Amino acid sequence: MGETVSVINTVDTSHEDMIHDAQMDYYGTRLATCSSDRSVKIFDVRNGGQILVADLRGHEGPVWQVAWAHPMYGNILASCSYDRKVIIWKEENGTWEKTHEHTGHDSSVNSVCWAPHDYGLILACGSSDGAISLLTYTGLGQWEVKKINNAHTIGCNAVSWAPAVVPGSLIDQPSGQKPNYIKKFASGGCDNLIKLWKEEEDGQWKEEQKLEAHSDWVRDVAWAPSIGLPTSTIASCSQDGRVFVWTCDDASGNTWSPKLLHKFNDVVWHVSWSITANILAVSGGDNKVTLWKESVDGQWVCISDVNKGQGPVSTSVTEGQQNDQ
Amino acid sequence: MEEFDGEPTVTWIPGVNSQKKQMCFDWGPGEMLVCETSFNKKEKSEMVAGCPFIHIIRKDIDVYSKILRKLFNESHGIFVGLQRIEEELTGKSRKAQLVRVSKNYRSVIRACMEEMHQFAVADKDSAIGRQFSSQVSILSAVELIWNLCEILFIEVAPAGPLLLYLLDWVRLHVCEVDSLSADVLGSENPSKHESFWNLPGNTQTLTELELRWQHWHEECERHLQDGTFASNPHLESLCKVLLGDDAALLEHKELLSNWYHFLVTRLLYSQPTVKPMDLHLYAQSSLDLFLGGESSPEPLDNILMAAFEFDIHQVIKECSIALSNWWFVAHLTDLLDHCKLLQSHNLYFGSNMREFLLLEYASGLFAHHSLWQLGVDYCDHCPELGRVSLELHIERIPLTTEQKALKVLRVCEQRQMTEQVRSICKVLAMKAVRNNRLGSALSWSIRAKDAAFATLVSDRFLRDYCERGCFSDLDLIDNLGPAMMLSDRLTFLGKYREFHRLYGEKCFVDAASLLLSLMTSQIAPRSFWMTLLTDALPLLEQKQVIFSAEQTYELLRCLEDLTSGRPLCGEPDAQQLQDDDIETTKVEILRLALARNLARSIIKEGSLEGS
Repeated sequence: MGETVSVINTVDTSHEDMIHDAQMDYYGTRLATCSSDRSVKIFDVRNGGQILVADLRGHEGPVWQVAWAHPMYGNILASCSYDRKVIIWKEENGTWEKTHEHTGHDSSVNSVCWAPHDYGLILACGSSDGAISLLTYTGLGQWEVKKINNAHTIGCNAVSWAPAVVPGSLIDQPSGQKPNYIKKFASGGCDNLIKLWKEEEDGQWKEEQKLEAHSDWVRDVAWAPSIGLPTSTIASCSQDGRVFVWTCDDASGNTWSPKLLHKFNDVVWHVSWSITANILAVSGGDNKVTLWKESVDGQWVCISDVNKGQGPVSTSVTEGQQNDQ
Repeated sequence: MEEFDGEPTVTWIPGVNSQKKQMCFDWGPGEMLVCETSFNKKEKSEMVAGCPFIHIIRKDIDVYSKILRKLFNESHGIFVGLQRIEEELTGKSRKAQLVRVSKNYRSVIRACMEEMHQFAVADKDSAIGRQFSSQVSILSAVELIWNLCEILFIEVAPAGPLLLYLLDWVRLHVCEVDSLSADVLGSENPSKHESFWNLPGNTQTLTELELRWQHWHEECERHLQDGTFASNPHLESLCKVLLGDDAALLEHKELLSNWYHFLVTRLLYSQPTVKPMDLHLYAQSSLDLFLGGESSPEPLDNILMAAFEFDIHQVIKECSIALSNWWFVAHLTDLLDHCKLLQSHNLYFGSNMREFLLLEYASGLFAHHSLWQLGVDYCDHCPELGRVSLELHIERIPLTTEQKALKVLRVCEQRQMTEQVRSICKVLAMKAVRNNRLGSALSWSIRAKDAAFATLVSDRFLRDYCERGCFSDLDLIDNLGPAMMLSDRLTFLGKYREFHRLYGEKCFVDAASLLLSLMTSQIAPRSFWMTLLTDALPLLEQKQVIFSAEQTYELLRCLEDLTSGRPLCGEPDAQQLQDDDIETTKVEILRLALARNLARSIIKEGSLEGS
């Protein structure tokens, strides 16, 4: 709706090669970045500043993604790389260290995503070997691994967890007892499919649904945060230039209907929902990040274009911002 | 999918202008990150340093301006008051109250404008001064629109009074009009005008007024025809103006600051009893005549026109587009909703327009370190989607101080947001443990009802005790109360501390029973039994017999349990052997003490009382 945005801070990461991912932590106070230079860096970006907090080395190839765990588990960051490894880093006594290394994949690990904190500390990893592994922290430095082999033929490119929903009414559980969550996540792969996975009672993961609409590799999936309505929403984007928004009316349970958001002229690599799920950001091969919002009549409308390149930059002169905390 | 009216705003990010790279991004709680990347994953690095910059971008929201903050705070008060207006009030009294609310909002806007104006004038030549100036113009436009909406939609001025309100409206906002022109264009024959409209207890009907005006108009017309003013072109021009002659009015265009000033002037002299529903016709023609095809309407003009057309939704839509801050549309829409003027416009998400706008506004507030509290109230008054919005936002508020954390928790607890309470307490407990503030960590774990964490913290306490021989945070542990039951380890910690207290108060018998029960009830972890037995030593060495025979047997059994159960470790190193030596000595000392106590207690119990 004609919103203008301004650059409020520019962080010089000093990465020596291409940056592949940048993620804010839960509160927007820290920034993690990863790069083809094999390093993962963490910056403190409070109050418009940028202080390098850690330069983490351990990967032997380009690092594709980073993901912050929920702060209730401490300061924990996961990273995945071309070197087939997933590394979990933790801040202990003020310093960041490798706390766990997962080497269960035969090929590049492309995507990592932490489950909702209600489930515990669980990390899903998608790999080019077609498998998805789930790492669950069981305490005392131990991680239990579950693997879904051949989740996607040729390779898995993205994983995204569904928000935590407790079946039935939310009754206050006595302390120590966990409510029975139905854990689900979505994955996108080189078989042009989006798959929805569900954890069974025996702890095994089963493929619950296949969502077919793309005609080429699915590059990213993003399950929208829950905003209290009985619908679930997933965004997907693909090599075929299309972005779909899938919705499921939870009353019926299992019918997902896709709505085409837009057909771009080039590969669409990345989709992401804002915190309150009302804006979808889409990054395409055409050097732009576009922001989309659902309008009054249910249509998806582009509200803003964030364009890379040379051009006038509007920097906001916010009076008193620096002194304001 | 459709494109919105008008092109979406394009924001340029400075960076290396390369054809091959893309932008990747992420959402923060209140902002976005973008950086250059190449999504096409290649194993080899390109050996070309990409752009190492990451840009953090944010919507241009004004929450960081100190002066606007006052606006947000005061309008928040008005908003909350409005929500509480008696629903039973109907008709005139309700309308009067809603008009009052509208005037309150406007006075807050004007106060803010005043203050900004001072800054703008004081700082004329700097960038900041210019920014203040532009803010003043924006607020002025906002107040202009709001005022018109108040007249048309809330006051619902009927024909007759409508023109008076519009006159006031124009006078209030056209400050540049100098007094001379005001005389010429506004108040010729003031007494005649006032007597028409402002008689107290004026019981003339609209028709009567119209007739009288018609009569006066015809008289003027006659004078013009008869050439009464022929000798004086100024007077003749004036007469034409009074007759509402458009051409004559436009000759003095430089005295009219804008088309709505022109409109009201025209109406005053040609259609003083204009009906609200006819306004838009005159408005459109006024706009066209005034612009004269030289320029096109600006966003503000479109908004005003939509208001004259009584198209409320269009007004809201245009304002949403034109203004970057949601403050205005959110509050105005809410007020209009209270006037029952909005049809429920159902968005796909199921919310109505009012909630949609209020929550958009509130989202911006949550980004601020103290205004977030206002955001909470806005969410509270959105019955459909407010709660979930609040749940999502409140967890992301950085808990920079204990005080802030407590405030956030209180908000959650008041609304029975138990999941959020737990999650926040867990985050705080984790932070406390990492900073070695065990007492704080323990109380947060208890508040979060997190048994596992409570166990972890209790273990740390016990470990600390073993290392240092004393407890920290005694107050907390002494006053655990029923919270002690949260976890076994916590119960043990509480009871163990109680043992120490009893011992300190010389209630030896009670202390002894407690100590024993800690082991026999299995509450004490095995690893701690040696410590407990060692604690028993001073009680065994007392002059009086404290442990009964039966209790002593129990203790012996515990000791045997412990010593027989000890596993053999691998290669015993020097330390291990040394430890073993210490252990063996301890065990021997205990066995001796227990044996002695057994003897004494048997004798004591076997003897007659008092001997």
